Amino acid sequence: MRISTAGFHGAALAQIMAKSTALAKTQNQIASGSRIITPADDPIGAAQALEIDRALAESKQHERNTIAATNRLSFEEQALTDAGSLLQRVRDLAVAANNPTLDDAARRSIMSEVQVRLQDLVDIANRRDTNGEYLFSGYSTMTRPFAVNGTAVTYNGDEGTRVLQTGPSQRVTDGHAGSYVFMQIKQGNGTFVTGAAGTNTGGGTIDGGSVVNMTAWTPDNYTIEFTSPTTYRVLDGTATEIATGTYSQGGSIAFNGIEVRIDGTPETNDVFTVSPSGTEDMFTTVNNMLASLQRSSDSTAQNALFATEMGNTIAQIDNAMERLRDIRSEVGARLSVLSDAVDTQADRQLDLKTQLSQIRDLDYAEAITTLNIQLAGLQAAQQSYAKISGLNLFNYL
Amino acid sequence: MSNFLSTSITGLLAFQRAIDATSHNIANVGTPGYSRQRVELVTRPSQGFGNGWVGQGVNVATTRRLYDDMVSNQVRVASSSFSHLDTYSTLMNRVNNLFSNTTTGLTPSLQKFANALQDVANNPTNSSARQVLISEANGLADRLRSYDAQLAQTGQQIEAQITGEVSEITTLTQGIAKLNDEIAAAYARTHQPPNDLLDQRDMLLDNLSAHLDISTVQQPDGQINVFTGSGQPLVVGKEASAVVTTTDPFDPTRHNVALRGPGGALSDITRTISGGSLGGAIAFRSEVLDPTRNELGRISVALTETINAQHRSGIDLSGAMGTDLFRVGGVETLGASSNTGTGLPTVLRTDTEALTTDDYVLQNTGTGWVLRNAATGAQVPMTGSGTNADPFLVNGLSIEVPAGSQTGDRYMIRPTRAATTGLDVLISDPSRIAAAAPFRTSASATNTGTGTISAGRVVDASDPNALRSTSTITFVDATTYTISGVTGTFTYTPGQPFVVNGAEVSISGAPAAGDTFTISDNTGGTGDNRNALALADSLSRGVIENGTTSLNQATSRLVGQVGSVTRQAQASRDAQEIVHKEAADTRDAISGVNLDEEAANLIKYQQAYQAAAQMIRVASSLFDTLLAATSRG
Repeated sequence: MRISTAGFHGAALAQIMAKSTALAKTQNQIASGSRIITPADDPIGAAQALEIDRALAESKQHERNTIAATNRLSFEEQALTDAGSLLQRVRDLAVAANNPTLDDAARRSIMSEVQVRLQDLVDIANRRDTNGEYLFSGYSTMTRPFAVNGTAVTYNGDEGTRVLQTGPSQRVTDGHAGSYVFMQIKQGNGTFVTGAAGTNTGGGTIDGGSVVNMTAWTPDNYTIEFTSPTTYRVLDGTATEIATGTYSQGGSIAFNGIEVRIDGTPETNDVFTVSPSGTEDMFTTVNNMLASLQRSSDSTAQNALFATEMGNTIAQIDNAMERLRDIRSEVGARLSVLSDAVDTQADRQLDLKTQLSQIRDLDYAEAITTLNIQLAGLQAAQQSYAKISGLNLFNYL
Repeated sequence: MSNFLSTSITGLLAFQRAIDATSHNIANVGTPGYSRQRVELVTRPSQGFGNGWVGQGVNVATTRRLYDDMVSNQVRVASSSFSHLDTYSTLMNRVNNLFSNTTTGLTPSLQKFANALQDVANNPTNSSARQVLISEANGLADRLRSYDAQLAQTGQQIEAQITGEVSEITTLTQGIAKLNDEIAAAYARTHQPPNDLLDQRDMLLDNLSAHLDISTVQQPDGQINVFTGSGQPLVVGKEASAVVTTTDPFDPTRHNVALRGPGGALSDITRTISGGSLGGAIAFRSEVLDPTRNELGRISVALTETINAQHRSGIDLSGAMGTDLFRVGGVETLGASSNTGTGLPTVLRTDTEALTTDDYVLQNTGTGWVLRNAATGAQVPMTGSGTNADPFLVNGLSIEVPAGSQTGDRYMIRPTRAATTGLDVLISDPSRIAAAAPFRTSASATNTGTGTISAGRVVDASDPNALRSTSTITFVDATTYTISGVTGTFTYTPGQPFVVNGAEVSISGAPAAGDTFTISDNTGGTGDNRNALALADSLSRGVIENGTTSLNQATSRLVGQVGSVTRQAQASRDAQEIVHKEAADTRDAISGVNLDEEAANLIKYQQAYQAAAQMIRVASSLFDTLLAATSRG
């Protein structure tokens, strides 16, 4: 097939242009370090790379969320620890106060310390985190949760708990509602609570009691009446007598699946109560302790009442500390989950970056080899064109 | 003697003409479209004598150009195809480059918006986190609008290109017609092919085939009739039809292509142009540009509807229900310029999941209404009757026809085209971001059982007053409960969600008789982040294409599609380039000038001329000899 002069030049030029274009593209890839300059270079890879970039950005956000959750939970843990130590101190004071040989001065100094401790407890419950949000207010984080009204403390927050996103499908709660932490603590032994009437004249004390047979227990307001210093009868809420018995000091009185122990010397018509457990907040518990301490304690009856009340206070403080411990272990578990989440996020990011690199990054060795081959090809095309285009029959005529 | 004198003179004249042709070829070695010319030499009729026929020398029959019609046709067909793909590919690359930046693209912007939502969820009372969210929302809207604007600009460039192409085509057809005239006259005068005129006309035909696909029919008088690929006449003899742009009957900013017939009637040929750069531009406009803008619009609509619906389900820092965060452009409806009735249909988007990227044409047939796909013309079925009470429902749209419409009226409906230009962020006050849920749940402190109630979520925000009113769930016994304000009792299934006034909650555990749970208003719950988390979740929920594609997926899929179509266009173009080049090479092999060949021919004819001239000298000396022989003295 013959070739025209114009055709020869055109073809050679087209080849050189094509080689230059390919060379320019390789150079662009090397300069940017990326194999994919535009989506057309690798459509599937480009779409995958976009998705991986997005997942990376999302994972970094999860890191930030984890830090926010960790901070808030750490603050909560500190507050719970401080509240626990405070309650321990109050318990020690209650134990010390329960000594009948204590004089009035000692009692007053215990009372003033307990008052300070109560205020401290309210302050702990009203603590805020670094963002100015209250720790124990539920969703109402800008509302102070606990307000003191005389001797009562009211809760002004709500029951909400906030969750933060710490992984693609992982959410962690960042706190507890103040009502759960400080307010709704079961009274007594969880099933019933005992008490002594203020009108008692004898020196009898009643302990917290225990449940023997849960199925036989019928929640009701029971009263144990002493018909004589040695006999008693048990009445239920409708004043129906359901049991009677002989009293021996330290002996147990059992009825409807429970048993309580009465000690000391009760008089006739002394009354002891057994009521179903409600909930009591820990501020009320400490306030009750203050009320007990404020009463003078001279007669046998007053001493006995004081002993019963201190016994209940100590039991109730134990309940509160148990609640704080439970919550603390929940917080500890969450912090542990968060610390694992940090590791998971780091692993995930490394994984994603590796995938991204495989898709998008240029293999420099391959690219530079290609560059050299293309350079050689271009040079050869140019030189051969120069040589051949100089050949012309007219040169020899 | 006179015989071989005149014979050599014929030789001289013939070789002179041959050298003329050779020098013409050499001079035109670089002229595009030039076909090399050859002088055809034939022997003159010989004279018969008793002792043989005697040759009378050589004649120039014609100067012929070396040209193959069939090969040229092949080149033109390949050129049409190649131009079409080249234009398509070039325009496609522009869109491709638009999406090439991986850090400022749609997907990263959407993720930044999602991250800003998470930051608000971490700390809902923090004003600067909320401010950042508003900035990111603006950034996202900006990014979408900027893509749309650049696509719109590409659209304007295409309109300009179409206009330019059409005027170029008209110029070419007029030139071809004029050449037809000249060639016919030249043939009539000399009965010889006017080679250079023929070359010029072929050049014009080649140029024309690069603009649109054509077919040619040779006429006996040397003229060529030119038709479009689908058979419409462009040039018939000396007459050229005018190719003009007309404004689209629906959209004055768009151009269509029409042919003006001899009587002045316009016939639209936009859909029938299939090759050439004009065909490429038109195909790109309807196959890529319009659907891509519509897809961007659909993403904008889905973003707005999804985020707004969730935002309206929450409450802001002051306790007010959330209002719309984004605003998006509405459905574009255009009436045809030929409509005789008044009014436009009222078209609303009712179901984002069912929206497509197509445009539609609604036509009043007199006996009813027909909806067609604007690009393909295929009919699309609708349900309903088109009235206000019973609108047509189709592909996520509800259409109410205009009262003043007449038979034959047509309307263009573009569901998502104008959505992105109207995209905007409506909230600028950080405290108006609705991060909290409107209600909260609680269990009564006096409950004796172990039942717990979930935090709950909003499933129906259409009645905020009911949603935020207080409802109490009271357990009659361990397996039955009542809801305040609702008649009847319900059986308790632990963990089973149920809806109260638009709030979905669930109770688990073992509640005892008399236990109560409350759903109440959440004003003051400023640290609640439930709605912020729900907003972040909504970005990965399926909201497009019948719930199969989320916003995140839609944005990265758009980039992948653009890349894939571009790659395919490039590959087709490269393949067609080779076909075109081979056809051109074949033509060139026949018609192209080779200087070496011309040099050899030059030597050949030069020597022949010299030999013929030598013959004259011989004739002259023979004559002298004869004279000398017959003279006396």
